[in-house]
Amino acid sequence: MSFEISIGPQHPIHVEPLMLRLSVEGELIVDVDVDVSYIHRGIEKALEARPYIQGLYLVERICGICNAAHSLCYCLNVEQLLGKEAPPRAKYLRIVVEELSRIHSHLLWLGHYFHTLGFETLFMYFWRDRERIMDMLELITGNRVTTSYNTIGGVRRDLTPEAEQRLRRTLDYIEERMRYYEKVIDSEPTILARTQGVGILKPSDAVRLGVVGPHLRASGVKHDVRLDDPYSGHDEIPFNVITWDTCDCYARVKVRIREVYESVNIIRYALDHMPSGDYRLKIPPFFKAPPGESLSRVEAPRGELVHYSISDGGDRPYRYKVRTPTLANLLSVVEMLRSRDGYEVYIADVPAILGGIDPCICCSARVMVTDEARRRRTIMTLEDVIKISRERGAKRR
Amino acid sequence: MRVPGRLVAEALRSLFKRRATILYPYRELEKIHLPEGFRGRIEFDRAKCIGCQLCFRVCPAKAIEMIEDEKGKRPIFYIYRCIYCAQCAEVCPTKAISMSKTFENIALRKEDLVVR
Amino acid sequence: MIEKILAAIFFPGAVFLLAASLFYEWVDRKLYARFQNRVGPHLAGPFGLLQPVADLIKLLSKEDIVPMAADRLLFTLTPILAPALILLACMFLPIAGPSGIISFKGDLIAVIALLSIYTITIYLAGEGSSNRFASIGAVRAALQLIGYEIPLTLSLLSAAIAAGSLSIGGIVEAQAERGIWLIAGPQIIGFAIFVITSQAEMERIPFDIPEAEQEIVAGWEVEYGGRRLALFRLSKDLELILLSGLGAAIFLGGPIGPVIPGLEPVLYTIYFILKSLVVLAIFTLVRALFARLRIDQMVSFSWKYLMSLAVILVILTEVIV
Repeated sequence: MSFEISIGPQHPIHVEPLMLRLSVEGELIVDVDVDVSYIHRGIEKALEARPYIQGLYLVERICGICNAAHSLCYCLNVEQLLGKEAPPRAKYLRIVVEELSRIHSHLLWLGHYFHTLGFETLFMYFWRDRERIMDMLELITGNRVTTSYNTIGGVRRDLTPEAEQRLRRTLDYIEERMRYYEKVIDSEPTILARTQGVGILKPSDAVRLGVVGPHLRASGVKHDVRLDDPYSGHDEIPFNVITWDTCDCYARVKVRIREVYESVNIIRYALDHMPSGDYRLKIPPFFKAPPGESLSRVEAPRGELVHYSISDGGDRPYRYKVRTPTLANLLSVVEMLRSRDGYEVYIADVPAILGGIDPCICCSARVMVTDEARRRRTIMTLEDVIKISRERGAKRR
Repeated sequence: MRVPGRLVAEALRSLFKRRATILYPYRELEKIHLPEGFRGRIEFDRAKCIGCQLCFRVCPAKAIEMIEDEKGKRPIFYIYRCIYCAQCAEVCPTKAISMSKTFENIALRKEDLVVR
Repeated sequence: MIEKILAAIFFPGAVFLLAASLFYEWVDRKLYARFQNRVGPHLAGPFGLLQPVADLIKLLSKEDIVPMAADRLLFTLTPILAPALILLACMFLPIAGPSGIISFKGDLIAVIALLSIYTITIYLAGEGSSNRFASIGAVRAALQLIGYEIPLTLSLLSAAIAAGSLSIGGIVEAQAERGIWLIAGPQIIGFAIFVITSQAEMERIPFDIPEAEQEIVAGWEVEYGGRRLALFRLSKDLELILLSGLGAAIFLGGPIGPVIPGLEPVLYTIYFILKSLVVLAIFTLVRALFARLRIDQMVSFSWKYLMSLAVILVILTEVIV
């Protein structure tokens, strides 16, 4: 005898609105339904109405935490349209800020995740250390959250030697604290009881559902855009891609903690081998991009971020499309929340599982067609979307 | 090795450590350190402005409006629309626009949030 | 007779207990914040001492909403019953003397029974609000009761066996006569079990499963607001005094200590408060150190480990004493 409870759209574990309709029998979850259309903001349409230099600041605000990734992806996209490439010093500086924002995002996620598990002390400790990273971001870029560091053709400011000294000291502090926290997490029985064996996602299912980022790497699949398709100088910097084999929420915690160590090492290497020279190309603020299309990919803290744009020769994009990593990861939540034989999911596991994908729902917006005339609502399937996009693309050509 | 409550040493040490909270806004305002290059409220030097309108064209939030005064065209800035991106300061050819360190940009009247 | 009634109303009765419960909540919140390197309440009153009072007044002044489909009798009765039960149980605590305002042979069992009825009241409170989250929270509270009740009872009863008396006053006097506290001896295991099961009774981390904020949005108290929520919060604060006081009385010797004749009630109260604050500090430390368990994990942990430990404790007590 099951009844329905809905986690959302407003709920203490959701930072953004998301509807999860669960059918439960007692504590056991039997079926799941996801609806993610609550926070559509029309950003792609707004980008079509703005020149490229203004669109840079709009793209940055798609997500507050991944703002460095979004602006980097946009700059790579437009530079590809223009046929230009950022100078070597700009590439390394971009890497420094990108990895700093990755550390910041992982620390934020770890704190929030343990808060949803009920461990408030670790939540406060993680966020106290995150303040140090935000002080560093403020020192280098001028703002704690919306960093506005990348620009078309390079970065906007240089890194001073004093900032570099303080950055190195902060990185040492962060590394030492993370090692302590990893020890605590590995030995605390309550945390292990809540995360081990919870939210199993087999590697074959992960690949089939199109999962990306640390969520995919926690299921043992070694895939990272920085390795497979290096942008901005990642092929010159050695680093490890962290994977873990247990495919549960514990693996997701471990992968993200270890990625912080890797980011610290990447920043140190970039600071040691920083090339000298210009940090930006001289590109006028208003320009007309030659007609064409371009695709850029970036490893945002949550996974693979894809920007695609079509230019028709004007000073603003004809069409701009953003595919964020959380949209790709959301389907796996449905898969992980269903109880099967030998694998039981309880209501108490919902925060652990949903948090495990590091959801940033404001990044995702689903296509939903409402038919006012006939008062019907349909959700498009993948086949419908492919068919329509092919028809429209053929018409334009 | 599972040891429950491993955080206990850290928790007890935190009792005697200085608190991490800064008691803003009632006390301890001197503890807020803003770095150079912090992007706060816009400041405008009328003497340097040449009326090229580049700032007006480049603002992503449409927070700048061009008006005429006795010396020619000049911008006024609406702080309540500003997103603190500093693109106007970057693009100004005479560096008439700069970003100050003021971050407490709240007012009871809209007039107080317009920089002339 | 008149003194008894006055004592029950003022000191060490209702008025004193209500004021002390607000103070204990302040201690709990301030310590919890300091463990996390934060500040805690600091604005209302000196050092934030008046913060619990401010919260209570704020809640009392809010609008009273009763859901249409809720059971009016349960919705009205349970917020009154909960603090009343705990207040009654607090009358047994030896605060101003070796025995409480009410004291008879076997009153330890009465206190344990009142605690169980309190949890059943919580179950009724959750079921009486016509809300799914509340039903889930209520059922979790009842399941949790099945988990912790027997180890709690056994730990207190072993202390009673060691002291040779089933009344709280008798246990306190037995410790005074022997000159050492019951905790120095095999009863330290009982104290550990008591601390863990009290966390489950008071529904605090790691056992705040019935009102897990992040899973079921405040669980059984989700529909209660305004005055009714104020009464539930008051019952939680009174529970802090009850359980820390019980721990202090049974394991730490209660209000007994060096006295100056003539000033006995004052000094007894001071010793009682100091010792129960130590027990409260231990409760808060446990709250800061762990994550929240799932209900099935909690019940299985309770029956596998706490039960066996409690049985070993009873055997040890019989053998050694």
